Amino acid sequence: MSTTALINHYATNRATTASAWLKSWLLTVDHKRIAILYLISINVFFLLGGLAASIVRLELVTPQGDLMSADMYNRMFTLHGVIMVFFFLIPGIPSVLGNFLIPLMIGARDLAFPKLNLLSWYLYMGGGLFALCAAVFGGVDTGWTFYTPFSTSYSNSNVVLTIAGAFVMGFSSILTGLNFIITIHKMRAPGLTWFRLPLFIWAHYATSLIQILATPVVAIALLLVLVERVWHIGVFDPAIGGDPVLYQHLFWFYSHPAVYIMILPAMGVISELIATFSRRRIFGYEFVAFSSIAIAILGFLVWGHHMYVSSQSVYSGLVFGFITMLVAIPSAIKVFNWTATLYKGSISYRTPMLYALGFIGLFIIGGLTGIFLSVVAVDIHVTDTYFVVAHFHYVMVGGTMMAYLGGIHYWWPKMTGRMYNEAWGTISALVVFVGFNLTFFPQFIMGYLGMPRRYHVYPQEFQIYHVMSTAGSTILGIGFVIPLVYLLLSLRYGRLAGDDPWDAPGLEWRTSSPPPTFNFETQPIVTEEAYAFQPEAAHL
Amino acid sequence: MANAHDTGHQGGHDREGNYGHISVRTYWVVFGALMALMVLTVAAWYTQKHFVHLPEIVAVGIAVSIAIAKTTLIIYFFMHVKVSSKLTQIFAVSAFVWLMILFVIVMGDYMARGWPPAKGPLSQVPVPISAAL
Amino acid sequence: MATTPHEHGHNPALLHHFDTPGQQKEAATLGMWAFLVTEIMLFGGIFMAYMVYRWAYPAIWAAAAPHLNTPLATVNTVVLLVSSLTVALSVHAAEAGNKRQLVLLLLVTILLGVTFLGIKFTEYGEKFAHCAGYASPVAWATGGERLAEPECLVPGANFLFPVEALAAEGGVTAAVATAAARPGMKTPHQLFFFLYFCATGLHAIHMIVGITVMSVIAWMASRNRFSPAYFTPVEIGGLYWHLIDIIWVFLFPLFYLV
Repeated sequence: MSTTALINHYATNRATTASAWLKSWLLTVDHKRIAILYLISINVFFLLGGLAASIVRLELVTPQGDLMSADMYNRMFTLHGVIMVFFFLIPGIPSVLGNFLIPLMIGARDLAFPKLNLLSWYLYMGGGLFALCAAVFGGVDTGWTFYTPFSTSYSNSNVVLTIAGAFVMGFSSILTGLNFIITIHKMRAPGLTWFRLPLFIWAHYATSLIQILATPVVAIALLLVLVERVWHIGVFDPAIGGDPVLYQHLFWFYSHPAVYIMILPAMGVISELIATFSRRRIFGYEFVAFSSIAIAILGFLVWGHHMYVSSQSVYSGLVFGFITMLVAIPSAIKVFNWTATLYKGSISYRTPMLYALGFIGLFIIGGLTGIFLSVVAVDIHVTDTYFVVAHFHYVMVGGTMMAYLGGIHYWWPKMTGRMYNEAWGTISALVVFVGFNLTFFPQFIMGYLGMPRRYHVYPQEFQIYHVMSTAGSTILGIGFVIPLVYLLLSLRYGRLAGDDPWDAPGLEWRTSSPPPTFNFETQPIVTEEAYAFQPEAAHL
Repeated sequence: MANAHDTGHQGGHDREGNYGHISVRTYWVVFGALMALMVLTVAAWYTQKHFVHLPEIVAVGIAVSIAIAKTTLIIYFFMHVKVSSKLTQIFAVSAFVWLMILFVIVMGDYMARGWPPAKGPLSQVPVPISAAL
Repeated sequence: MATTPHEHGHNPALLHHFDTPGQQKEAATLGMWAFLVTEIMLFGGIFMAYMVYRWAYPAIWAAAAPHLNTPLATVNTVVLLVSSLTVALSVHAAEAGNKRQLVLLLLVTILLGVTFLGIKFTEYGEKFAHCAGYASPVAWATGGERLAEPECLVPGANFLFPVEALAAEGGVTAAVATAAARPGMKTPHQLFFFLYFCATGLHAIHMIVGITVMSVIAWMASRNRFSPAYFTPVEIGGLYWHLIDIIWVFLFPLFYLV
């Protein structure tokens, strides 16, 4: 085995013709290349979803509906929701960072099923194509939840295409989860026991469990909606004695755990960032690891808190509310342990760390408002108001989005071999943090005061909050564009990163940047626990 | 995931897939049992339909119990769970555990509120199903 | 593929990213099991709907189920159970390296699968022929015997549950039953037949996939692709086949033996 063959990695591509180059990407089974395919496509979808959000925010600047019709507004926020949930948040961190890093972190040469991994990407693109077609042909107005009977009988929009997109994307998600689970079980390097794994791996393991256990249920629910829409006959049709609320049960059996598909990998990323930039082993490693599993399991028992006003039984509501509060325990364990890790650590405020600290602050607000919402009485008061909108954006954007950006910055040198511009990185992290809070904090207030979601015309009294929110979203948008520019520029002008720019102990840093096709030149053998920082190296 | 049944692969890896063996005779015995259970379930159905009228819950209970017994036989012997790793066994069981989570919680909700709405505990006059016609 | 960095390259069945054949086999088997878990959850959604509505409409279920063809379904159950045996034996034959027996058993399995689909097709055909006004699929194709009493058990705009069966349900007078029984009638009977077509239809799709998989495996076996050291496709294909059987084990009593 010569080293020259190993250097044939994706960055120094040796394909001579354009078609060979294209083939080497589109038919690759290398997890790192597939991760980069995902990185590009997911960011394109993120930009589209962000564009839809900007249009929604622009409309809301004035209390009148002056930019678009009510119908158009419905289609716009649905487009935003569908794209962001199904094509950015759910696949985001697992498919990009997970795909790239899981084999590297466990010292494997690839995922267990490389071809299946490529298939996942094609399914993702196929699903995305369906959703985009739906948008191009006039959009869909059901909201991302596709509630029956509106979606099956009354909506005059492209429900079929959009649901087909979500359905196909679901299989991509299932196959990714399956691949990760088997990889983590079977491909670990010698000596890498479960309690030596980075917490990123634990988080992805828990995520994958949810993906394979929950996604099929929404797949069948969406399939039944499709059948009902196409043939006008189905199990959710009240006219023949069916119950539309049954759809909500099946939908949220997936879609509540799905929010943990979004946040658990983010928590995994944060554990890595906090450890590296405070140069300490994560405090209470076992607790953080098991809290991921606990969140995944508890996540399956709480879906009814989305259905307090759906005619679900009040007794179910109470039980769901109680179990929902329990989710706060493992979530708080994570937050407390991260904070305890910071204590007496040698903290360096590099860009990824800024994102991580931002994550902790925003996730605390998102999580605590979640506890308010678990209480049936409070929830009924603020159901379908901007309070709920603000809550889940604090978790999804403040949580997942911050971790995604932090993770991209942290592993950018590993993925590309180049360093990004640290000064611009710092600026972008601060701009995103400020923009985010200005966008969503006013929404808590106006939601509590009674501003309902999904309306484009609203009373005068809420205008001040909407203007603040739109101003914030503009700043947030700028905050997302800045990294896009300097990260792309770094590909050409960035300083060469070297194997281990952060002086971090993980296995992914024990190989070249970017890594060779089979990741490691010699099989790594693990002899110590994760996050074994050398004290003398604390010069960063 | 160390396992005690290492088959002695040269490379010193402890991740071999072989945990034992099921004989052809066992397959035939299991097949016989499956056929017997099938006859039993049809017979039970026939009996309760034409001779003894059992409450529906009992009849369904019998049919589903037999189906579960058949499933267990297929999974345990035909699908080699008997001679698989602990992990495979956990995977096999987890699917059914998660199904139970779905079934129990959703049915709990339906029993607490009733469906169709007229059947719920909060309705004052019980309305016969035929009213739905 | 570049050269593998490991010295196991001599085994053609061992992929570059695995260390040992055992690790590869274990990964494949576990992967299949994880996939079967997703399949079980997929069907779980339909079973969930079945459970809710059977609980809500027991009398309607009891009235509707006799309109399915129980004898044919019983035959189908036997067919599937036998096919499960042949699959189990074929894995055994592969393990023993008995190629002739392996190919033969796989072909028998495929044949049984096709038989199952044929019987299923006959059942469906009967329902659709009734909707078209003919007594049987054959009569429908040849323009033969018409159906005496109008009946259409395919859910949709033409759905019509027979009047005397409605009346026999209890709690309904003959006049009410006659008034209710018109094409496209909006009653929970449609739910039963809708679930029947969904569940057995989804099962039949899996059956078609299973037959395809088994055909590929049989072809591979005939080309000497397997040995006692490597027969993973036979094993995981078999797992998939058994799962199809298990789904049917539940569908049979729940739809035909109400």
